[in-house]
Order: sequence, then structure tokens, then C-alpha cells
Amino acid sequence: MDPEARLAAPRKGGQPVTKRSTSPFAPGQIAVHVALAAGAIFMLLPFWLMIRAALTPEAEIFSGNMLTLGTVTLDNFRRVFAEVPILRYYFNGIFVVVAIFIGQVIVCVPAAYALARLHFSGRELSLWIVLGALMIPYQVTAIPVYVILAQFGLIDTRSALILPFVANAFGVFLLRQFFLAIPGSVFEAARLDGAGAFHTLFSVVLPMARPALVTFGIFSFVSHWNDYFWPSFVLRSDAAATVPFGIVRFLDAELGSDYGPQMAAATLSVLPLLVGFLLAQRQFINGIAMSAGQVE
Amino acid sequence: MTTAVADADILAEPSRPLPRRWLSRRLEPYVFVSPLIVLIGIFVLAPGVLTVALMFFNVDILAGTWKFTGLRNIQQAIGRGEIANSIVVTIEYALLTVPPSMVLGLLVALGINGLRAGGSFWRAAYFLPVAATLVAMSIVWRWMFLARRGLVDQTVGKWMGLTDWLNSSDLSLPAVALVGNWQQIGFVAIVYLAGLAGVPKHLLEAARIDGASAWHRFWHVTWPALGPATVFAAVISSIQALRIFDTIATMTKGGPAASSETLTYLLWKRGIYYFDIGGGAVVTVVLLAFALLATWIQKRASRRLERAGSR
Repeated sequence: MDPEARLAAPRKGGQPVTKRSTSPFAPGQIAVHVALAAGAIFMLLPFWLMIRAALTPEAEIFSGNMLTLGTVTLDNFRRVFAEVPILRYYFNGIFVVVAIFIGQVIVCVPAAYALARLHFSGRELSLWIVLGALMIPYQVTAIPVYVILAQFGLIDTRSALILPFVANAFGVFLLRQFFLAIPGSVFEAARLDGAGAFHTLFSVVLPMARPALVTFGIFSFVSHWNDYFWPSFVLRSDAAATVPFGIVRFLDAELGSDYGPQMAAATLSVLPLLVGFLLAQRQFINGIAMSAGQVE
Repeated sequence: MTTAVADADILAEPSRPLPRRWLSRRLEPYVFVSPLIVLIGIFVLAPGVLTVALMFFNVDILAGTWKFTGLRNIQQAIGRGEIANSIVVTIEYALLTVPPSMVLGLLVALGINGLRAGGSFWRAAYFLPVAATLVAMSIVWRWMFLARRGLVDQTVGKWMGLTDWLNSSDLSLPAVALVGNWQQIGFVAIVYLAGLAGVPKHLLEAARIDGASAWHRFWHVTWPALGPATVFAAVISSIQALRIFDTIATMTKGGPAASSETLTYLLWKRGIYYFDIGGGAVVTVVLLAFALLATWIQKRASRRLERAGSR
């Protein structure tokens, strides 16, 4: 029985030390809800103002009550689609995050498996390299990696957005922990059956890693979809622009003080992740909370 | 574990004594690990060495030329005073974001944790800013901070006389830090909610039966049990302060007069905007020093916690 339920259950025979209401409508509970609601206004206000302005005609944006919708129009969105190559940004963004994740699976899953479950000389060294890489935030490697990519003529390409992130030390670390928690006999059974290395990898290791890969995948998708820092190092034009880079570039160049279209563009950038978040809240929270693990 | 693998090899070999098979078993781990190690070498280890070299060169990316300049990059970086300024601004930003977001995040977590119903709704509401694209939301905040007509000047500006935040060298960093808090609180709350799940319930109940007040129960039972979560949240939010770029790039561009120019923004400005690779390398080294310092502090703090726990 879970301890919470046991505590909440009425005591039989024991002296009634404290009277503790269990109703969700107790005054204390209501007070907490009110306090949380007050804080949530601050958290949600920017989202509301963004959507409201995006749906309001340019002339009325600064007039009237900010808390209610006045005239509703889709003109701002129409202008964004007409003037901003937002579909290209979406395409680039999806291409980049998918390519990064596929690369991460191909590179990190076998390595994590080997580091967790296979014995070979050089394993200790490899582990140290991974742990060392884990301590270095990628901002620190930005300038030299930029120089390296420039040497290969990769500036302003999607490759420049993908390649540096394929070998993810954090992903390896996480998957290795995951494999260590699975009894070694599971992997051994496959090997005893005479399955080859790659067969074991694809038919045993990969399916088993799925829960860890879902969490890591969300983390990877969210952080690279949102990333603005790295694109502003290696991108120069619209050609390979992902959503954050493209939007900012375009706003500053074309929509200087047209706040309606600006807010519509912001809405369109945030939308995919917000929808994803509302659909798969638990996985999202786990995935993003994992970014924290990056320094562990 | 070692024995299991060794046994397996012994069992597997006699039935199929093919040398090819034996060889592939020996090579297998290297095939699995080497792509990772090579890529880490190219994108993490080599850059580390390269950064140190770049500090002493004047590099022209377009022409592909490297000119040895000795200590000039470092002298210039110090002489311009921008590194010192950015270190101060980064520390200020950390002070404006880490303590407030930790206190507020803890309060939110305690509130949600004490609820009998509706907890997951509030959790989602507070976490929404963490999931949202920060650059896009910075555009919204920039508009809210707009001089005169923006929401902030229309409300806080009128009540307290603090107007045009983004163009004031006193208020631009607090404005960016406000957005930093807005984004960070939900994250800290999630970390603390995970921590609160591990607080021993029987101790809380025992304290309640002993007549301990809510504050005493928090201070003597809950708070000590949250030690690891606190260290964790503190380190993450400090590292976040070290990394902050999106809000500054969209809202203030480091200005006015470099008053919100943090180290990461300076890194971009030097290396990309001014195309001064050597100068950027100098900033990188400072940033790396701070990152390692943060990791070191975290290691020490968690070791102390472990020792305290084992007493």
C-alpha cells in the first residue's frame, strides 16, 4: 500500500492526534490553488499576449483591453506565410533534428552497449573520454568547431548544424546506465545463440533501449529545434535556416515594428513544441529534465 | 559481470572454433566504439587543443591564413576591458536568476506537492515556458518591454516609474533576467518535485504527531532531504546563466553600452560578429574556466552531502 494512502486512511483505535481534512476543497488546499494560479498568470501571460496580438488587426494591437480578444483576424498569419519562408524553416528544422537523432542512434547505441557490456582493452580510456566530453558545454567548443567546419567549406549548410551533435556524450552516458541496469544474461543469451554482432545489436540491444531512446529523443529534438546559439555561429543566409534563426533574421530585416505579424511568426515557431508538449506531457518533462543530467 | 562474459566466450568458442568468428568477436567492441571516439575527437578534443592555439594567432577564415601574433589577442582582450565587463555581467545575471528561480521553484514544487487534486495541471502550466522556443518567446517579451506602448511600461512603468527597460543600462540586464526566471522556475520546480517524492513520509508524519509546526517539519525533515535536488538545481541554473544567449541576442544585443553583454554573447560578438577568431578563443578559455569551476563546485557539494548522509 502506498504510504500516502496509508497516512490518509482513518486510524482505528489510535488517538486522534491531528485532525487532517482529506477533502480537495479544504481551505488550505484552495489557498494553495489560488497562490499557484497567481503565479501561473505570470507564466502564461506571454503566451496569451502573443496569441492575442497574432489574432488582432495591426491597428488594434495596442488599444483596448489586453485580456480580451477584440476583432479576430488571420491577416497576420497570412502576411507571415506570404513574406517569410517559414515552410522552408520548418523543413530545415525537421530535417536537422531528425538527422541528428538518427546519427545519435547509430553512433551512441552501439558505443553505449559496448561500454556497458563488452570487455576490451581501451574501455576505461573510452569511458574517460566520454565523461570528459560530458563536462564541456558546447558553447566552449563553438569557435574552434566553427574554424574546423569552415576549413571543410561547411559554413551555411545543414551539415554544419548536424555533424557536431551526432556524437552525444550525454546520450552515451545515459544509454550505458540503462544497459547496465539490464541483466547481462539477456545479451549473453543472444550471443550464445550464435547471433552476430550486428544482429545482436539490432534485434536485442536496440529494441531494449527503446524507453531510454524515447526520453533521449525528446531531449534531443527539443534542444536542437529550439537552438539559436549554434545556427547563429554557422549560418549566414536563409538557405539552411532552422525556425529560430530564420524567424529572428526575418523579423529584424522585414517586420521591424509590425508587431502583429511578429507575434504570428512567434506563435508559428512555438506551436509544434507546445502541441507536442500538451500531447506527451510526461515524456516531455522527463526528456527536458534530462538536459539537467548533462552536468552530472 | 566479468565472469558471465568470460564464461560465454568459453562456452561459445569450442562449438564453433572458427578463427574468423573469434576475430570478429575481438573486433566487435572497437567497431561499436570507434565512431563515437573519432567524432568526440573531432568535435570536442581537437577543438580544445585548437582553442589554445587560436589564442596566439590572427586567423583569417576567408583567406585561410594564420598569422602568429603571440600574446596580442590576450593583451587586447584585457585592454579593451570587455572580458572583465562580461565576467561581471555574467555573475550579476547569475545572481539575478539563480537565487530567485530556486526559491520560487521550490515554493511552486511545495505547493503542487501538497495538493490532493489538480497537481499535474499546475505542473504543466509552470513547465510550459521551459518547453517553448526561447527565441520566439524573447520576441514576445521584447514587445512586452517596448518603450511607452508595451505592457511593462503601461503597467509597471506607470506605477513605479521604471520605463523603457531594454534601452536603459540599469534595467536591461534585469529585464533579460526576468525572462530567465520566467523560463527557469518551472524547471527548478520539476527538479524539486522529484526530490520531494523522496522525502521520507513516515518522518513527516512522526513530526506531525509530535506536534511540530509546518515550518519545523519543513526545516528539519523536508529541507535536509532535498539537499541533492538543491545542489542539482543550483548547478543547472548557474550553468544556464553561463550559457544564456537567446534572450540577450533578441532583446538587447548585449546593450546598451555592453550592460547586458554576458560571456556567451561576447563569445559570439567577438568570434562571429567581429570575425575575430583569436579574440573569441580568449573568451572561450574564460568560459571554459567557469564551466569547470561549476562542475568542481558541484562535485564538492555532492561529496559533502554524501558524507553528511552517511554519518
